[in-house]
Parts: sequence; C-alpha cells; structure tokens
Amino acid sequence: MEWLFLIISVIAVGAAFMMLQSKNAVHSALFLIVNFGCVAFLYLMLDAPFLAMVQVAVYAGAIMVLFLFVIMLLGAEITTDTSGNMRWLSLAGAAVAGLVLVIFGFPIASNLLDDEGLAPRIGTSLVRVINAVPGGEGEAFTVVEGGFDVPLEGQVTTTVALSSGEESEEAVAIEDVLYNDDREDLREYVEVESGEYTVNVTVSDGNYETTPIYSETLTLEPNSADSIVVYENVDGVIDVLLLEDDLSPTEMGAMRMTLFNAVADETVSLVDVGQYSTLQTLCEDDACSAIIPHRVLIDAVPFGETTSIDLDEGTYNLAFINADNVVLRNLQEYDAERGVVETRVLVQEASDLGGLTIYNASQFGAVGRASFGSPEAIGQVLFIEYLLPVQLVGILLLVALIGVIVLARPDALAQQERRRVNSRRRVSRPLVSVLSQQTGSDVLRGEYLAKLTEGSDDNDPESK
Amino acid sequence: MNSIGTEPYIMLSMVLFLMGTMGVLLRRNAILVFMSVELMLNSANIALVAFAQQWQQINGHIFVFFVMTVAAAEVAVGLALIVNIFRERHSINIDELSQMEG
Repeated sequence: MEWLFLIISVIAVGAAFMMLQSKNAVHSALFLIVNFGCVAFLYLMLDAPFLAMVQVAVYAGAIMVLFLFVIMLLGAEITTDTSGNMRWLSLAGAAVAGLVLVIFGFPIASNLLDDEGLAPRIGTSLVRVINAVPGGEGEAFTVVEGGFDVPLEGQVTTTVALSSGEESEEAVAIEDVLYNDDREDLREYVEVESGEYTVNVTVSDGNYETTPIYSETLTLEPNSADSIVVYENVDGVIDVLLLEDDLSPTEMGAMRMTLFNAVADETVSLVDVGQYSTLQTLCEDDACSAIIPHRVLIDAVPFGETTSIDLDEGTYNLAFINADNVVLRNLQEYDAERGVVETRVLVQEASDLGGLTIYNASQFGAVGRASFGSPEAIGQVLFIEYLLPVQLVGILLLVALIGVIVLARPDALAQQERRRVNSRRRVSRPLVSVLSQQTGSDVLRGEYLAKLTEGSDDNDPESK
Repeated sequence: MNSIGTEPYIMLSMVLFLMGTMGVLLRRNAILVFMSVELMLNSANIALVAFAQQWQQINGHIFVFFVMTVAAAEVAVGLALIVNIFRERHSINIDELSQMEG
C-alpha cells in the first residue's frame, strides 16, 4: 500500500511540475490529465470509487478536452515565457513555497494529526422505540404500585417515552409510543446525541389515568443504531431491551431480516413455506407425523432474543412457527427488497375473537446504510440532506451556461467592429451630412443623423 | 481499509496546492493560469476525500462534488472570456491585460 501511494504521488507531483514548466500549452494540458488520473487513483485508494469515476469523466474527460479545444482553437500552443527581469520571481516563489511546505508539512508529517488536539466528533446515535406490549382488557392487566395491585378498567394501553436525563421535559427524544403505532415517524430512527437516556413506560386505561410502571436508564453508544424494545415478560412484567441494529451494508442483492421474539414461553422460527401460504400448522395430520416441506430461515429464537438473517431479493411466503410446528403468523407474498434492514417483533396479542390468540409480527423497516463512498451512499446523502445545495449548484451551472452563451455571442465583438466602421464612415462620407443639412431632406434620420453631423464637424479638417 | 493514514495524502495535497499557487503566480499564459487553478482545486479535493475517509463521514465526498461542479462552471466561463480576449487582442498574455478598458 505504501509503495503504491508513493509511486502514484511521485507521478502526480512530477506531472504537475512538468505542467508548470512546459513551454507548450498542449503538453501542459496533457500532463495535467496525467495528474488528474493519479488523483482519481488516489480516490480509489481512499474508498471513494464513485468520485474516482467522476474525476476521470468530468475532469480528465470534459474539462481538459475543453482546455485542449480552446488552446488549439486559439493557436496559442507556444506560451510566452516569463519576461527576463521577472526571472528572479520563480526562484523567490520556489523558496516561499518550500518554506510553507516545511512550516505546515512538519507537524503533519510528524503525526501530530493523531494527537489529542483533534477530538473525535461528538457522536450521535440513531434510536427508535418499539412498544411490544399490546395491552388489552383491564382485568387482565394489573399494575403493582406501592405494594398494592391496582386493577385497571377498560382498554389498557402502554405508552413509552424516551428522554435524556431524568424528569427534564425538554429533553424528551421520543414520546407517546403506543403498541402497533402506525405513525411513520415512530417507525423510523431519530437521530439523538449519544449518552444516557431514560425509558419510561406508563400505563393508562380509558379514563386517561396514567401510571408510570417502569423506568430504565440506557446508554446509547456513539454511531450506533438501536431499537429499544419494550415487551412483556412471562409474568406480565415489563422489560426493556436495547437492541443494536446492524445497518451495515447488506450482501449484494439481499435484505436483512431480524426477528425478535416477544412471545413468552414460545420458541419461534421463521420458515419459507413455498406455495403453502395460508397454513395453520406445518403438520399434515393431527399426530404431526408428516410435515409440509419448508425451508427454515431463522431457527428457534427463544423468548426475548433476536436473530438476523440475510434474505435474497424476491417474493416469499413466510411463516412464523413455534416449536410444535404451529403457524403463529403468516406473511403472504412477502417482498424482500434489497438493501432493506427490517426488524420483526413477534407479539402475542390478547384476542378479541373468542379466545383465539392472535400473533402479530410488527414490522420496523429501515434502509440499510450503503457502503462508504459508493454511488448509493453519495446519492442518499446528496438527495436527502443536501437537496437544496444540489438545486443551487444546478442554478449556478445554468447561470454559467447563459453567461458563456452571452460571452460567445457574435455581438460582443460586433459592437466594437461597428464602432470602428461607423467612425470610418464618418470620415469618408461627410458629403452626405452636408447635403442633408443644406437640403433638409432626411437621407439619414434621427439620432443617427445628429451623430453624423456632430462627427462630421469634428472630422472636417481631416476629411479635407 | 486505509493502511497508510491520512497524513501522506495531506502532504501530497499541500505539495500540489503550492505547485498550483506557483503556477498562478509565475506563468504568464492565461490558459496555464487556469490550469494551475484547477490543480489547486484538485489538491483541495484530495484533502477533503482523505479527511472524509479518516472520519468515515460521507459529507466530504459531497463537498468534493460541489467543488467539481463549481470548477466546471468556472472553466466554462473562464475559457469563454479567454477566447473573447484573444479575439480582441490576439494575445492571452496576462501581463498585457493590465488595462481593463476595451
């Protein structure tokens, strides 16, 4: 790696030097192309493949062709040398440049960049809260408060809030997360400064009574993406899990599926059941002696744990099954899109339909990070965070385009030429003005006439 | 990953920038002055990409993008000006362009 960098940088500096001292402008341009090629190679070494391609196409291609075109159009190949009495300037310039190089280069070369002087950027974390406590009828849900069981009546809902520090109202990062909350902004990550955060879980019944039942402090690491999952433990106790999401680039053409099992006393697997899309069980008979052919994607996730898998792009019929091969939840014609990182939280819902238990696989999708420096990554940042600058640069290019058209207009020169022609006419044709003055006939009219008469007066001695 | 660190890239960027500066100051040909400016912009881009790689922040790449766009616009306008100047004075020696009046 070192020798590669050394070779490339020597070529780059050599080409730059040749460009500076070349007598022929065409040679200069060609050396500059070599230099740009080296820079493109350095971009490749710096994990910027897209910029390297743009460098070759835009700089070495478009801009330098423009230069060469203009040089050859003007026929200005042979450049005039620095005039003799300015010769000492080259030496002085070289001396000053060397001095600057030493002064600024010394600290850089002696690894001072890695010193404590440059502190790492204060990191931020991405975080979202997943409420996996379905709530339900009041009787089934009691809150232990101060040693007493407080039964809640009516529809009980749990609410989760995330705040930094304790009891500070302003520092609330995420609030009012309900179970199966469909609000878009709650399913996506929120960017917060990393540090300590408090998760508060409150329970309310239909009477708008809120009771805080759980509170836990978590630490969000810098540059991480976390999901905070709030779920119900075996005996109905609230538990909080900090789930670190892997947003790193997925494999080519694959998505990443993470399964979190929030169903107490079940072990859940994710299987691909092929054409059988609406199964209740994988068993073919009651004794479960034969099993429908399926492909296990995620095998046996115990309660309260997660497992991830990379799933190839395509459409699947997926099913979440328990250890007894009973299908808990079907996902029919599930589209696996590449680059997506998805978390599925399997929750047991209190049933409304005559004692039948409903399982829900809440979906929390995210777009995985594209790998550093790739066109995808640049596109994501360019058109999400920097959309306005992109538009402004577009306007700048448009203005430049119009400016070039205006500059290249033939009129820009013609105005000068016309003036020259006019002055010539003034000198050579004074007779017209004299005639028109005497006869009063408007051979030439208006302003032009006035200008001519004025001009002829001035130029009279010369014309005679 | 990058095994040689950021410093060599910054050094190279500095060397190229100084060479570009000398070109701007010492050469008399307007086109060569322009090319030297391009060299300076490129060396700045190297530094930006190197730092972006060091901190794993893609914003540096975005900035390089904008620099490239501005450079392209600048070259287009600048060369159009040079062509116009050449048509008028039949020379692009910047020493002879001391008066701005046509």
